[in-house]
Amino acid sequence: METKLAVYICTGCGIGEALDIEALSKVATKDCKAPICRNHPNLCSQDGVQLIKNDIANEGANVLVIAACSPRVMYDVFAFDDCVVERTNIREQVVWCQKPNDEDTQMMAEDYVRMGAAKAKKTELPEPYKPEQEMSKDILVVGGGLAGLTAALEASKAGYQVVLVEKEAELGGFQKKVAQKVTFPYKELTANDLNQLVQAVESDSGIKVYTGAKVEKISGGPCVFDVSIKQNGSTAEHHMGAIVLAAGWQPYDPANLDGKLGYGASPNVITNVQFEEMFTSGAVVRPSDQTPVKNAAFLQCAGQRDPEYLPYCSSVCCFTALKQAIQIKQQDPDANVFVVYKEMRTPGQGEDFYRKAQQEGIVFVRCQSPEVMVQGSKLTVEADDELSGEKILLADLDLVVLATGMVPATAFGEDFKAVQPKEGEEKEKEDEIKVPADAILVSDILNLEYRQGPELPGLRYGFPDSHYICFPYESRRTGIYAAGCVRRPMGVAGALEDAAGAAMKAIQCVELTTRGASVHPRAGDLSYPEFFMQRCTQCKRCTEECPFGAINEDEKANPLPQPTRCRRCSVCMGACPERIISFKNYSIAMIGDMIKAIEVPEEDEEKPRIVILACENDAYPALDMVGLRRMTYNAWVRVIPLRCLGSLNLVWIADTLSKGIDGVFLLGCRHGDEYQCHFIKGSELSEIRLSKVKETLDRLVLESDRVRFEMLSIADCDRLPALLDEFAARLVEIGPNPYKGY
Amino acid sequence: MSVKVDPNVMKDLEAFGLKDAKKCYHCGNCTAICPLSTPENQFPRKFVRYIQLGQKDKILQSPEPWLCYYCGDCSLKCPRGADPGETMMVTRRYLTSLYDWTGFARKFYTSERFEIMAISIVALLVGIGLLVFNTGKPDWQHASLNSLWPKENIELADLGMAAVLSFLLLSNVFRCFRFVMGDLAYKVPFKYYMDQAKELILHTVTQKRFNECTDRKQWLVHLLIMTGYSSVFLLVVVFLRWFQRDQEIYSIWHPVRLVGYYATFAIMYGTTYAIIGRLRKSKPPYKNSHPTDWMFLILLQLTTMTGIFIHFTRLLDWPFATYFLYVIHMMVAIPMLVLEVPFAKWAHLAYRPVVLYLLKVKAQYQQEQPAEASVAVAA
Ligand code: SF4
Ligand code: SF4
Ligand code: SF4
Repeated sequence: METKLAVYICTGCGIGEALDIEALSKVATKDCKAPICRNHPNLCSQDGVQLIKNDIANEGANVLVIAACSPRVMYDVFAFDDCVVERTNIREQVVWCQKPNDEDTQMMAEDYVRMGAAKAKKTELPEPYKPEQEMSKDILVVGGGLAGLTAALEASKAGYQVVLVEKEAELGGFQKKVAQKVTFPYKELTANDLNQLVQAVESDSGIKVYTGAKVEKISGGPCVFDVSIKQNGSTAEHHMGAIVLAAGWQPYDPANLDGKLGYGASPNVITNVQFEEMFTSGAVVRPSDQTPVKNAAFLQCAGQRDPEYLPYCSSVCCFTALKQAIQIKQQDPDANVFVVYKEMRTPGQGEDFYRKAQQEGIVFVRCQSPEVMVQGSKLTVEADDELSGEKILLADLDLVVLATGMVPATAFGEDFKAVQPKEGEEKEKEDEIKVPADAILVSDILNLEYRQGPELPGLRYGFPDSHYICFPYESRRTGIYAAGCVRRPMGVAGALEDAAGAAMKAIQCVELTTRGASVHPRAGDLSYPEFFMQRCTQCKRCTEECPFGAINEDEKANPLPQPTRCRRCSVCMGACPERIISFKNYSIAMIGDMIKAIEVPEEDEEKPRIVILACENDAYPALDMVGLRRMTYNAWVRVIPLRCLGSLNLVWIADTLSKGIDGVFLLGCRHGDEYQCHFIKGSELSEIRLSKVKETLDRLVLESDRVRFEMLSIADCDRLPALLDEFAARLVEIGPNPYKGY
Repeated sequence: MSVKVDPNVMKDLEAFGLKDAKKCYHCGNCTAICPLSTPENQFPRKFVRYIQLGQKDKILQSPEPWLCYYCGDCSLKCPRGADPGETMMVTRRYLTSLYDWTGFARKFYTSERFEIMAISIVALLVGIGLLVFNTGKPDWQHASLNSLWPKENIELADLGMAAVLSFLLLSNVFRCFRFVMGDLAYKVPFKYYMDQAKELILHTVTQKRFNECTDRKQWLVHLLIMTGYSSVFLLVVVFLRWFQRDQEIYSIWHPVRLVGYYATFAIMYGTTYAIIGRLRKSKPPYKNSHPTDWMFLILLQLTTMTGIFIHFTRLLDWPFATYFLYVIHMMVAIPMLVLEVPFAKWAHLAYRPVVLYLLKVKAQYQQEQPAEASVAVAA
């Protein structure tokens, strides 16, 4: 296709007053050889947009560089069909954060126009991915408990075919054990209406239910998942679009608890789950002799929120204890019931339920470490009552109920790394970049045929990793969304909300994928990684580093990308040492050309240059924010946004330094347990790669200080100017890059 | 030492009027807002907790309930509607019953029926007594009480009653003293008890502490009822021979007459204010009314009203009406004195100043025995 470059410079929003627009236009026409270059006092107005449209229609312009505001705004205005659009940010990141009408400011704007044009020239229009197989929009729900049933019903109501797999013979999950529940509006106990839900699912023609069944195998990717379901010795095959994982939880094993809590020392010390079973099967009695319960104590956080046992809060056991305490009171209003707690956690409207328990006459004792003592069939609890400062005894108890917590179904099973057959013959290469492996437990729930492992990678405590800060329901396997207690501990209300949320995500996934578009967070992106396989050395770096396990492997260890699983993070592109992975609108060469488009002043001009490779999701908006707040930052920097810092290919650093640019600053998201990286591993991987480059730099007698990595969050804009100045000062100290002028 | 939790105390206290203490979640706002709570003597939250945990002994040894004058600020500020002020009131009722060794007080507080029965029986006895024991020679010409019930005789009966009442009250006060002082009771040198005696008098007379509360009106009403009641009590028990007179009516400026008028006005004003307040539940202290509260106000107002009527019938010189009203008057006044003073609400008249006084004694002792006090704390 014939391409025709057109550059548009907006002079509104203060741009025209701060820059020499004529000189800037000259850069476009002379340096970038743009046949068309226009400016407009208000490019985003109807008139401005019409100007562009006219050029598209009449002049055949189809590669458009729009030098105006940040690409984070007005993206809907500057959208033109069948045209490559490159946004050059001369507003937030030039005129709003630099001295007006200054030589340095002008140079910065000119560089950005050159860089934008360089990138635009290399960009191609992406064509949506269409797999050979037919694409399915059906939704698989794994787990037939409250969350799974609700998700199935919600998806079916929205018009999608659903397959539901439950491992037990009956639907219902844990809630089958629950006779009364506590949920909105948290005023009273309500009878569990689970049966209605089960019936609704069973009678829904859009839902195919498998009970007593398990998922034996899942291969493929979103919209092309091939699922084998085993039931009664036979196997059913389904072609599915997306998956909701609602596999639920198991109670924490009370045998592991501290002996102080008395579990096992007396049959009258039970767990909240055992209480639930006892209540549902009849009356609450003293387990040792089936006599009525006159005095009972509930000990909260049994082994919970304790790093030695279950480090987190299961969030429902406070409600459960209140409910069960009220149940005892309703059975016998004269019974004495105590709740011993560390902190009572009944947030929001749940407070009303705590009030109800108070009204019922339940006595609350705040104590961090109660002790249970057994005397025959009677129990005594000793507790430090923090509210009176006394050590108190709750004597003559018939029943002690321990609030044990929830362990997600995904937390069971061996570590995949340990069970994986070792590939013995391969020797570790000296230069190999070691990437920490993900925690994947073989919990036998999804049985994915993914090279990285058969289940969802976990983050902590066996919960599937989800980037919980920003994207609930997400997992690190595209098209698989977690809901209910497998995702995090939650009560009935939470599970219902979760189920609807995950079903919604699954629907979004099948809709986007069938259009060939990416899902969250690059929702709608039509590009996908393309591999120039002839040059592949089977190094496996891409298959290992893809945070979403999108790349499988054939028998010869060639990568087998599964584009519908891909999130378009381009981490693989950064990982590949042969540089054979690229996107139509994002490639190593494009960024390389942008770097090369920067003009590097001679050494004696004393104008060092710094390239900032900034994560598009956090660091780039933080830089925009500096401009929005009209703060000022160093004039030597040139910012290049990256999809993810994980797409950093080391060659860019070589390009930069060999061009005589004095330093490279990588701005990525926080990584580690509290990571904020949108692509989970991206910033971590880039830092690991960087450690390698530093060794190489040292070898080349190029100071490794010229390259710096910093973790930055979107809210860190206040820190930015000082951070950049500091780096610039360090570069001045080191002296100019010796490659200048070569 | 760990103490056993007794959940029955809470249930027991419901009979004493405990209602909302369960709602407390121990934020401590009440203690923070209370103008009378001090770091050494904190209340009311602590007592809500003692009650929730059934710490009877702790309550028994505590002086704090008597430091509270029930201004109700805490109840207004409580975010949970736990009415801590009322809980303090309940604690005082409970303490009154615990101090009382006869067990009468407990019955009085926990059974409305018992209360009414007891009052009726005493009233009846008084009525019969007055009908049986008299001179039998009433003066039908003039209203002359002394002709039927000579003041010497009444005075004698008065003194007898005073002796019994004093014995009962003092024995209960003594128990209160033992509970509050604990081990210190006899350790503190007698000198300190003497030194602080003036405090006792000061507090009794002025109710000074109550004045620290933000609602000054309550202090005034309380002071009026208290002084009115006390002065009339003195008139009828100690100064009866100057009070119950028939012939020459004192001139309007005569001290006895003035005191009488003051007392009448003070009691009528105070009780009417309180009754209206309780009916309208106008402020926290009036929101919850225990049967004993009503009984106290009704008896006091009835006594005063019949007293006023007698005053007028005497001035009008109507013999029959005077004698009749006198019997009624006595039938109301005597039960009130006999039952309320040692066993019910009136007892606080003694406990409150005594406990304040004991606290001062304790404080002085601890201040002047620093070494010994710190040893005691360490132990
Ligand atoms: S919900 Fe309550 S009992 Fe359960 S872990 Fe959290 S704080 Fe503890
Ligand atoms: S772009 Fe990201 S998600 Fe897609 S294959 Fe590459 S590394 Fe995996
Ligand atoms: S203010 Fe109310 S809730 Fe708070 S401690 Fe006092 S009585 Fe309890």
